[in-house]
Amino acid sequence: MEIGALVGIFLSVVLVNNFVFAQFLGICPFLGVSRKVDMAFGMGCAVTFVMTISGVVTWLIVHGVLAPIGRQFGNPEALYFLKYVIFIMVIASMVQLVEMYLRKFFPALYVAFGVFLPLITTNCAILGACLLIDMNDVYQRSLLKSAVFAFGGGIGFMMAITIMAGIREHLRFSDVPKALQGAGITLLTACILALAFMGFAGIGK
Amino acid sequence: MTVAIATLVLFGLTLIFATLLGVAKEKLRVEEDPRIGQITEVLPSANCGGCGFAGCADFAKAVVEQRAPCDGCPVGGSAVAKKVAAILGVEVVQTYPYRPVIHCAARTEDKLGVVPYDGVKTCTEANIVGVTQACTYGCLGYGDCARACPFDALHMVAGKPVVDYDKCTGCGACVKACPRNLIEQIPFKQERMLVVACANKEPAREVKKVCKVGCMGCKACQRIFAELFEVKDNLAYLNYDKYTGDEDFEPVFAKCPAKVLVYFGKPKPEYARQLAEEEAAAAVGS
Repeated sequence: MEIGALVGIFLSVVLVNNFVFAQFLGICPFLGVSRKVDMAFGMGCAVTFVMTISGVVTWLIVHGVLAPIGRQFGNPEALYFLKYVIFIMVIASMVQLVEMYLRKFFPALYVAFGVFLPLITTNCAILGACLLIDMNDVYQRSLLKSAVFAFGGGIGFMMAITIMAGIREHLRFSDVPKALQGAGITLLTACILALAFMGFAGIGK
Repeated sequence: MTVAIATLVLFGLTLIFATLLGVAKEKLRVEEDPRIGQITEVLPSANCGGCGFAGCADFAKAVVEQRAPCDGCPVGGSAVAKKVAAILGVEVVQTYPYRPVIHCAARTEDKLGVVPYDGVKTCTEANIVGVTQACTYGCLGYGDCARACPFDALHMVAGKPVVDYDKCTGCGACVKACPRNLIEQIPFKQERMLVVACANKEPAREVKKVCKVGCMGCKACQRIFAELFEVKDNLAYLNYDKYTGDEDFEPVFAKCPAKVLVYFGKPKPEYARQLAEEEAAAAVGS
């Protein structure tokens, strides 16, 4: 039962409510780093890591720090206005951590990411995941479900960006009309991909 | 009250994360040679790739690891080479900036056997097609080199590339772009350098059929300056190791039947005036 619910959450956020294709979050790195499959996959891994950790840590802070302290003063939601500030701080710290880790152990990936690695900080998909967890009653009650949701969001992003990179690698050899070259054909491809993902809507009800 | 608590909570959380990051920074520190940063500072930061490395930072790393020479930056020239050498604590010998010269001086009207060509107007394509002009060595004139130049220093004038040596940084993009390998980087020991502006290796009889200004391989230059010139495969080569630029080349100019020896580089003042007049006349003529 519990496992079934977790798998349901995972599939829902990976396929049905894919962050990129259904909720249109994280479009900037989706278009920016999807030129090569290996780089896109690396970016997806970094985003998955940051998103999972951020989701769990923000959940812990909201329920382990903000709510108890608020309860001491009568209202558990008294400090909830700090959420956004803390979310951003957590995400920024996690990105810094990933950056240091990559620089130490995967220097090639670090160089390849360039400016896009610090930009994960401002990747709206990650703040979006934290806020969606925060908004949903089901996730509010269970840390495990929140973690699965955040992890699934990252996996969904990785899948989307890797598919996109695969298509773009092939697109390089195709005869694109001059007016559509560059951003135009990329956005069209993303659009058709998003349409394809619409097919998952309604599954698992 | 709420404000005070909020401030405290935020302060506490920030402290925790700051400590975490501080510890992580120590644990995951990457040992990097400080000289790499210093050298990157003095490089021109053009990231043109002229040195053969992926950008200035990569070149700095290569220099520190002794995979590249101190004077490997063609854009910075000797000034930057001296600074790099100072950081590394080594001596640098006199270096000259390497700039491109073109081993073909044929204008459109000098070429013979030019046929109308309606294909893709790039040298790469024309070179594959191969029949756009009779000379199979010379410049095709479709300006791949001019398009490759990231500094707007190369322009097609009267069907041949002309380098603007004020803008040129010697990055070598044009050298790679030319499908006929006509562009060569030579050490500019003076503002103007003498160049054999032909690449045709056919015997004189064949050269005459395809070009008005092709090298005949007559060895006239070699007879006058045996040290400097060498004629090999019906084509004269100038040895830039021995070239100083102070030689008097007037007798060679007088003897050379095809006038393939020309000066490249920033022209002398009187020469520049003459060139401007010629160009003005050509503009009126066309």
